[in-house]
Formats: sequence, structure tokens, C-alpha cells
Amino acid sequence: MIRRLVRPLCAVVPLAVAAAAVMAAAATPGTTDAVVTDDGRRPVAEAVVSLTPLDRPAPAGQPGPAVIEQRDQQFDPYVLPVYVGTPVQFPNRDDIRHHVYSFSPAKTFELPLYVGTPPAPVVFDQPGVVALGCNIHDWMVAYVYVLATPYFATTGADGRARFADLPPGRYQAQVWHPRMRGAAERTTTLITVAPGEASEVAFVVALRPPRYAPKDPPQYERQQGG
Amino acid sequence: VRFGSYRGRLVLVFVGLFTVIQALSFVVVSAWVRVLARQEIEEELRLAGSLFIRQLELRTEQLVTATRLLSGDFALKTTVATTDHRTTWSVLENHRRRIGADVLMMVGLDGTVVADTLHPDRHGAVFPLRRLLDEAEDQHEASDLVALDGGLYRLAVATVLAPIPIGWLGAGFVIDDRTAGDLRDVTGLHVSFLRRDAGGVAVAASTLSAPDRTALSRDVPAARAAGLIALGGEPHVVRAERVSDDVLVVLQRPLAEALAPYERLRRTLLAVAAVGVVLAFVGASMLARRVSRPVLALAEAARRVARGDFAAGVAIPQRDELGELGATFNEMVSGLRERDRVRSELERAGRLKRFFSPQVAEALSSGDESILASRRREITVVFCDLRGFTAFAETADPEEVMGLLRDYHATVGPVVFAHEGTLERFTGDGLMVFFNDPIPCADHAVRAVRMAIAMRDAVGRLLAAWRARGHALGVGTGIAMGYATVGRIGFEGRFDYAAIGRVTNLSARLCQEAEDGQILISQRVHAEVAGLVDAVPLGAFTLKGFGTAVAVFNVLGLQASAPPAAVPPGAASKEAT
Repeated sequence: MIRRLVRPLCAVVPLAVAAAAVMAAAATPGTTDAVVTDDGRRPVAEAVVSLTPLDRPAPAGQPGPAVIEQRDQQFDPYVLPVYVGTPVQFPNRDDIRHHVYSFSPAKTFELPLYVGTPPAPVVFDQPGVVALGCNIHDWMVAYVYVLATPYFATTGADGRARFADLPPGRYQAQVWHPRMRGAAERTTTLITVAPGEASEVAFVVALRPPRYAPKDPPQYERQQGG
Repeated sequence: VRFGSYRGRLVLVFVGLFTVIQALSFVVVSAWVRVLARQEIEEELRLAGSLFIRQLELRTEQLVTATRLLSGDFALKTTVATTDHRTTWSVLENHRRRIGADVLMMVGLDGTVVADTLHPDRHGAVFPLRRLLDEAEDQHEASDLVALDGGLYRLAVATVLAPIPIGWLGAGFVIDDRTAGDLRDVTGLHVSFLRRDAGGVAVAASTLSAPDRTALSRDVPAARAAGLIALGGEPHVVRAERVSDDVLVVLQRPLAEALAPYERLRRTLLAVAAVGVVLAFVGASMLARRVSRPVLALAEAARRVARGDFAAGVAIPQRDELGELGATFNEMVSGLRERDRVRSELERAGRLKRFFSPQVAEALSSGDESILASRRREITVVFCDLRGFTAFAETADPEEVMGLLRDYHATVGPVVFAHEGTLERFTGDGLMVFFNDPIPCADHAVRAVRMAIAMRDAVGRLLAAWRARGHALGVGTGIAMGYATVGRIGFEGRFDYAAIGRVTNLSARLCQEAEDGQILISQRVHAEVAGLVDAVPLGAFTLKGFGTAVAVFNVLGLQASAPPAAVPPGAASKEAT
């Protein structure tokens, strides 16, 4: 769990450092905390908060390699936000085959029944939500959230995500969650990051019930709830 | 069976009572059965309704399962993802055949029809049942009975997940008359699907005939309330089940058919009652005959008794009141018979006594004719006649003669009877009496002599009056003792009781010899009575018919010391009657 939370941050931090280097002369970076709760005021984990700068074009991110494993007949991670153009590997850690597919317009692909790691990663070259499934295990679901901005983070169990070292300025903040009702665009909030200051943005999202619960394997429930 | 008769009334009462009881129980049971039948029918219909609903649900579940399976088909998902609607239609048609559905359709996430197997060209039209899509969105699948294309369909909708929703798959089975027929096979009831439309309700599918459908759609609101509907002029029990917002299932069954088992029960009851009445009739008749037979027998016997037939009796072997009555009756008849026998015997004896001595009369009247058999016995014979009677008869008027004879007989008769002598005959002025037959007595000679003395004295007093009128009349008596043949003599039609022998002749001769007032006795007689009477020897008489002279004694009278005659008291009193 921690690992899964840390990884997106790892992706953000080098970007932030790069941005800071660019804008070092202009201003001291600020910090923003995003808090996502559902309409019952409970923290929402695995929500992806993204920030799109309004005052200048979004800087290009580093499409570093990313991985979604299949382990214990589940995808791991459940939600993977990536910068557009990121190649993602789908190593199969189970001793049975999996058949990974997506019919999402942002990325349609199919990795027919295979074991081990496919020779070529899948490159997610269009922004959007890509829903992944396994043809032979209906309950196996994962999402690749392809973003055109380098500023994004996934909430932890406490529903919080931190953006450190943000260049000061105005941003459009959005949140997306696989079970969220309505489009991510509708959550757009304008925030302003002041130099050297910390700010906070709160999102309240309406979630629909998990699609596969309670028929799904218990380990899935743990991940969803955890 | 005449109902005026005792037997008839008995049967009538029995059978009537039994019939009333049977009728009452039949009416009660019948009414009770009717109530039960209505309850049973309602319950049956309710169960059938439940069964029906369950059947429908099962079929729907099967359809939903099939639809869900199809929706998970990867080829279908792949095809849908291509958005090539002709290929999609083709896949749907293929899959429709797999599950044997009547229609398969794919609806896009925007709620428009992507492909519809019923209409290959329909593409992009708004799917009319949005609520089913919403329900399937939330629940993964949904189903309902819906109106589609002017028909009634059981429609299941499943969300196609890849793995997020990419559309909805709908599968439908048409509900038509055949479906209704299948359900009728399962439930045994008429099945009608009624769909609410603008004008009211319309029959979408049914096992009923066309006119009945019209009647059903017209009358169903009232029928639901009453639980009954007239179809084809026949009442049907009705139950309606709402199976969806717009669809009502109506189950009907002919009331007569539902009541048939109870009707059979009723008929059986009736038959049992009828058989019971017949048996009661037969039983009552037999019983009545059993009861009345002795009564009739008694009546018949009583009639015979009334006619004087005392042989009439009844045979009632029963050991009850009637048996007792019969026995009592028999006793009574036997008493009557005995009394009658005694009376007729007395009458007969009375008649006989005019001709016979009481002893003979009694023996005869009691039926003992052995007395008439001839036998030899020692007897004492007394002859007695009037002296001078012939002369008197010649000179006197016949009336005087008859009067004298009447007086004479009236005088001697009682004396003969008093001494228990056997009066053998009257011969005008004479009479013959003998003793020791038929009534045996040891002292027959003594009795004969005593009687002769008594008779002489009595006739002497009678003759004194006649002599006073100038008639020379006297009485002579002869007594002899010896063996004689006694019994019936004569021929068939005319018999006499007589004693024949030398002793008879001797006493007759002695009588002829006797002077007026003389009682002549033979020596043997004298030997018997010597100590009792005063007798004087008259010497030896030569009598006609007797070769040797006979010693004769004349009895003067009883000695003074002689005891009075031992005459049985009954004899005199019997004579007095």
C-alpha cells in the first residue's frame, strides 16, 4: 500500500524539482494538500488529483517506465496515473495465464493469454481513462489514468495527496476516481499557489458502489477498502 | 306393503325416520362440503398463482442468467468496441440463436439502440425502457415483462462490462398464446396476460378463446373483486396476479371443474343415502314382518277361537313380550278348550244319562267304551213290576195309565240311582236293574235287596193313592244272583247294554211269582243278606225254565239292627241335578 502511494509521488517529485530549477529565479515553490472525501465525509483513497497550470503551458513530463502487475488474480496497482506517452509493463506474477485487454478509446489493446512479462510494454499515448480487464477473470479491473500534466498524485488511505515544490501560480485542480459519478472535468477547481506557502484544496465526490462487490474475491475487497 | 296395516305403518315410520336422518345429514354434509370446496378452490388457486409466479420467475431467472452469460462474451465485447453495428447485429443474431431467445438487442451507453435482431436496420433509435438500463447499471442486470413492438416480452437486460460498462445487452422472450399454453400445462389453469394500455386492459396472450378474451378484458376489474367471472356462459373462479407495473396475469378455472371432486363426493353421499334408505326399507320390512307375523298369527288364532275352534294355537318361538303374549294366549285357549271339553262332556253325559245309568253314561261320555265289551261277571239282578197293571190299563183312561207310569217311573228312578244300580230297562210297568256292573261293588246282593225294600216302600206309598181310587195295583220284586254275560248287544246302529244269563231268567221268574209287596230272593241272595234282613222261606218253587225246584225267600224288611244303607252322598245329589 505504502509502496503504491509512494510511487506516484516519486514521479511527481523529480518533475517538481525540474520545474523548481526552471523557475528558481522567479519564485520560491509552494505546497498544496488535496483532501478528497465522499459525500459521507469519509476519506477517499486511490483518487487521482491533477493540477494543470493556467499561467503557462504545462511542462513536459518524463514518461518514465511504469508497471501494473497481475498478482493473486488481481491487478496491482488498481489505479495507475501516468504522464502521457508512458510505457507500462504488465508482468504476470501468477502461475496461470491472464488476458489483459482494454476497449477504452484512449488506449485499445489486448495482451492475449500470456505468462511472464510481455516483450514490449504498452505505451499510453493519449490522455484519458483506460479501463483494463482480464478476459478470463471478470473481477480483475485496473485503471490507467493518462494525464497531459506532470502534476498529479494519488490519495492515500486518509484521502490526502500532497504537492510540494509547486511553482507559484494558478492551477486547475481536478480529481478522478474509478467509481466517481460524473466526469472528472466537473470537479475542476481553481487554486492559486503562493510562493513558499502551503494551501489546501478539498474535493467531495459521489461514488457508486463497487461494481463487482460483493461477488468478487475478498482480496479485491481489501484493496478497494484499504 | 299396505300403509294402513300395522306392518306398513311400522315400515313407514322406520323408513321415514331413516330417510329424514339421511336427508338431514346429507344436507348438512353437503353444505359443509360446499363451504370447504370454496375454501379449497380458493386455496388451490392461490397455490396455483404462487406456482405460476414462481414459474415465471424461474423462467426470468434463466433468461437473466443466459443474458448475463452472453454479456460476458469477449467476442461480443470486442465487436461492440468496434462500433460496427452490422457486425454487432450479426453477433447478436448468432447469440440469439445460442439461447433461443426471440429478440436480442444491444444498447449503447447513450441509451440508443446499437443493434436489434428484430430490426436489422434500426440503429440509433432511443431504447424505450430507460428504467431497465438504469436498474441494470446499478444491479448489473434487470428484467421485466414489457410491451415491445406491440407484443409482450419478458426482457432481461445485462450491462456489458469491459470491464467498465460499454453498453447493455437485452434479451427477450415473447409471451404469446403458446407461452400461456405451456404455463397452463404446468398449473392446469387458464392463463391470460393482460396488458394495460390507453383504453384499459388488453389481452396480450391467453389460453382462452377470442370471445372469452373480450369478456375477460371487459370484466376483469369486477371479476378480481368477486373472484368469479362468466366465460362462455360458465362461471370460472379467477385469481389475478400483478407481475409488473403494466401486466396482470389472470388465472381462471371453470367452477364446475373445480367443484367436480366435490360433486362426485356429493353424488357418492347421495348414493350411500339412497342405498341406506333401501336397506332400511328392506330391514324395516323384515323386522316388521318379524314383529307382525306373531301379531297376525295371534289375530288369526283369536278369530278361530271366536269361531269356536279351540284347537287354534300360535307358535311364537321368540323369547320376548310377543313370545310371552303367545304363550299366555295359548294358555288361555287351552283353558277355554278344557272348559269347553268339560262343558260338552257334561252336556253329553247329561244327554246319555237319560238313556243310561249315570255310571254307564259317565263312562261313555268320557269316551271309555271298554265298558261296552262283553264280559262275564257275577251280578245281582232285580226285576220289579206292577201287579194288576194289565187290568188297570184296560179299564183306565190312557191319560191315567200314562200318569201312573210317569209317577211310578219318577218314584223308582231316583231309588235305582241312589243305590247305584244299573237300570237295564223299563218295560212299561216293569224294570230290570242289576248290580256289580259296570260299577263293581262287593256287596251287590245287599245293595240289590236294600234297593228292592226302598222301592217297595216308595211304590207302596204311591200305589196306596191309586188303590184308594179303586184300582187293584201292587208291586212284586224278584232278586237273583249269579254269573251273566254283560255288555253291548245288538247290531251296528242299535245296541243295548244288557245282562244275559240264567240269573236274569231266575230273577224274572221270581218276580212273576211274587205277590203284591213280596220281595222274592234266591237262596244265594238270601245267603248274602241273611244277617241283614228278615226273610221267611217260602219253600221250593218249581219255576218255568228251571229243571229243579228253587228255594225262595220272601224279604219282609230290614232288621232293626241293620245299619243304614251306605249310599254315596254324591249319587243322590247327582240325581237331584
